[in-house]
Amino acid sequence: MNASSPIASSPIWPESPAVQVAQPSGLVRSQHPSPGATVAEHSPVTPRPIRARTPKRGQPDREPGLKRANFGREAGLPTLLLLPQLLILVCFFFIPSLRALMQSVLLSDPFGSNVQFVWFDNFKALFASGEYRQSIVTTIWFTVTQNVITLAVAVVLAFASDRVVRGRSVYRTLILLPYAIAPAIAGILWAFLFNPVVGPLAHMLHALGISWDPNRNPNDALWLVIMAASWKHICYDYIFLAVGLLAVPASLMEAAAVDGAGPIRRFFLIALPMLGPTVFFLAVMNFIYGFFETFAIIDAVTHGGPAGATNILVYKVYVDGFINLDLGSSAAQSVLLMTFALICTLLQFRYFDHKVNYGV
Amino acid sequence: MKKTAFMAVLLGVLALAAPAQAARVEVQWWHAMSGVLGDRLNELVEKFNASQDKYTVVAVAKGNYDEVTNGVIAAYRAKRPPEMVQIAERGYLTMLLSGAIVPVQDLLDQKGYKIDWPDFIKPVASFWSYKGRMSAMPFNSSTPIFWYNKEHFRKAGFDKPADTWQELEAQLYAIKAKGVSECGTVLPGDFYWSLLENYSAINNQPYGTLANGFGGLGTEFVYNKTKVVSQVARLKKWLDDGVLQIAGQGLSPEQLFTSGRCSTFVNSTASHGNIERNAKIEWSATFLPHENDINPPLNSTIGGGAIWVMKGHTPERYDAVAAFLDFVAQPETQVWWHGVTGYVPATSKAYALARERGYYKEHPTREIAVLQLSRGTPNDNSRGFRFGNFVQTMLAQRSEVEAVFTGQKQPQQAMDDAVKRGNEILRQFEKLNAGKDAEAGREPK
Repeated sequence: MNASSPIASSPIWPESPAVQVAQPSGLVRSQHPSPGATVAEHSPVTPRPIRARTPKRGQPDREPGLKRANFGREAGLPTLLLLPQLLILVCFFFIPSLRALMQSVLLSDPFGSNVQFVWFDNFKALFASGEYRQSIVTTIWFTVTQNVITLAVAVVLAFASDRVVRGRSVYRTLILLPYAIAPAIAGILWAFLFNPVVGPLAHMLHALGISWDPNRNPNDALWLVIMAASWKHICYDYIFLAVGLLAVPASLMEAAAVDGAGPIRRFFLIALPMLGPTVFFLAVMNFIYGFFETFAIIDAVTHGGPAGATNILVYKVYVDGFINLDLGSSAAQSVLLMTFALICTLLQFRYFDHKVNYGV
Repeated sequence: MKKTAFMAVLLGVLALAAPAQAARVEVQWWHAMSGVLGDRLNELVEKFNASQDKYTVVAVAKGNYDEVTNGVIAAYRAKRPPEMVQIAERGYLTMLLSGAIVPVQDLLDQKGYKIDWPDFIKPVASFWSYKGRMSAMPFNSSTPIFWYNKEHFRKAGFDKPADTWQELEAQLYAIKAKGVSECGTVLPGDFYWSLLENYSAINNQPYGTLANGFGGLGTEFVYNKTKVVSQVARLKKWLDDGVLQIAGQGLSPEQLFTSGRCSTFVNSTASHGNIERNAKIEWSATFLPHENDINPPLNSTIGGGAIWVMKGHTPERYDAVAAFLDFVAQPETQVWWHGVTGYVPATSKAYALARERGYYKEHPTREIAVLQLSRGTPNDNSRGFRFGNFVQTMLAQRSEVEAVFTGQKQPQQAMDDAVKRGNEILRQFEKLNAGKDAEAGREPK
């Protein structure tokens, strides 16, 4: 999370492209509607900022306004303010990344006394390995499913808790609680609940005639970790969506209600489009979560098994590096993982960003 | 002048404290023991610290074996390793060839301690020594034994579990058929150790070439051509018939046994402490079963850990380390440790002492491990397992066995694949350590 949370974004939502360009908002770079903003002041005369299809990528003024960083002549103070963050990035991101790149072309023993330069052998070995290819497929399936489930449930919960009047804050607190639970604990909890031998929920499934056994059925195992990972992340999505819904003008909803639109129609035709930027942001965040932050859950629930069925890429990096002590392969995998994540995020921005309307 | 007064007091305190501090040399020992075992380990260290006034050993729990290994690697690379570290048996070759250790026998010889090395019991001594010299101090050695629920066996009409897998199978099926328990046995979390590796040793099956790796780094796995395949098939059959259960995550196999749900289970002798504390059942233990056409069965092999000494410290600190290791090797210490934890006594003297005191009359199951380890004449198949990157090859094997359990592969196919994957990992280790074998770990400080 950086400064781009909706709370931190500018309280004044720009109304026209002209205003946006003038705003020195390089630090903000928000992609979400501000919760405090209202669209009610939108003058009917001001044309909506129509998003022109820009011909080329990488053109500096492709996105006017908030998406553009422009320090102008007074670059001193912003640079100074950015410095701590940059230092942190250098120490905890760039240096380790460089080390990973170096390690990925080496074969070395864990203690570092024998080091051999092996060119791209580590990468070649990975692509030749069936386990690695299986891991890629598992990761894609895991991440996409987790993303869809998390977003869908969070949207429903956010809309439902937005409509409820009595005890709204109680519901919100309850929904947010899982976020406070450490992933490993959440994992153990799910593993226990669905343990085929003693788990109460597994017994319920057995009573329904489902032969549930994540120890012996790869699909069950995969679904178990998907559910555990989604459950852990729903609250994160929920809080953004709940705040995002606050920004949907009540007047619009009322007008639609007067026109005879029911709650479901109002949700799909008004609330959801206005949540577009939030949903897009969350999709990217969920994706990163699935890719990088779920290894504690996997470790607690399945250890990547049975037979590698839940061995997602990040867990494989962890096992090969920290348990197998195969540092070269682990480094090569983390370089590849970083590349995959980068490509996927770029693709998301390339293809979905256009469909998101930031102009509300 | 408050400040000067304060400084004077401070200096006074330091002056008083300094000689006392300087007198005791402090050394660190990183270990992987938690729970009951961790408490016992701390008691051991306290005993040593109280026994003399020159040295202080500080025991630091660093998590499980993997975490300790990672911790010590990071510390070594940062040039701040602890003086001593407890490493599991699977890490033997990695540690030996790391160039980061001082072999304990060299250290103790150099410091003038007279340890009766030939007195260490065979499987323990042969595992932890290289070319006849001990590389690490045996500390917590264990071996798997067969635990059973006496009441279940009585109800099903049996005195005790049978000696052979074939008869045992009949018993477990009978226990299930008679409704005595719904789970004849539970798959151990480390089944690769007890049900595949030790199975091979006891039944005189080769696991790898070159005496299971004792003969050099060019070793290859061969267990896809032995009875291990039918053993995996047996487990799969039991699983399908509901005689064998997998505990899975969130629950330990031990819990299923001690709660009386499962009638038997194979686990390390080191779980004595826990089982005595937690079991609500009438339990006992016996030798691991063997195949009916193997006679006599051979010895089982050891697991557990040993204390390694790291390079790069001052002579004074090595004095402290040597004193502590000497203390650990004493029969009195060994007998005490054996009694409170269930680990095997490392020396014949300690074993004789425990016997003499009538310890095994009161605790018969504690002798099983020693008897099982010293059974028969150890040969190349039963001396132990010494493979490079052993954890990695084991995880590949576990994954392939799981593929049998999930029904994705036939046992033969899975073991062929496990051997193939394992051999690739062995070749990588060989490539990395080429030419190192001969002089490995032989750089006395």
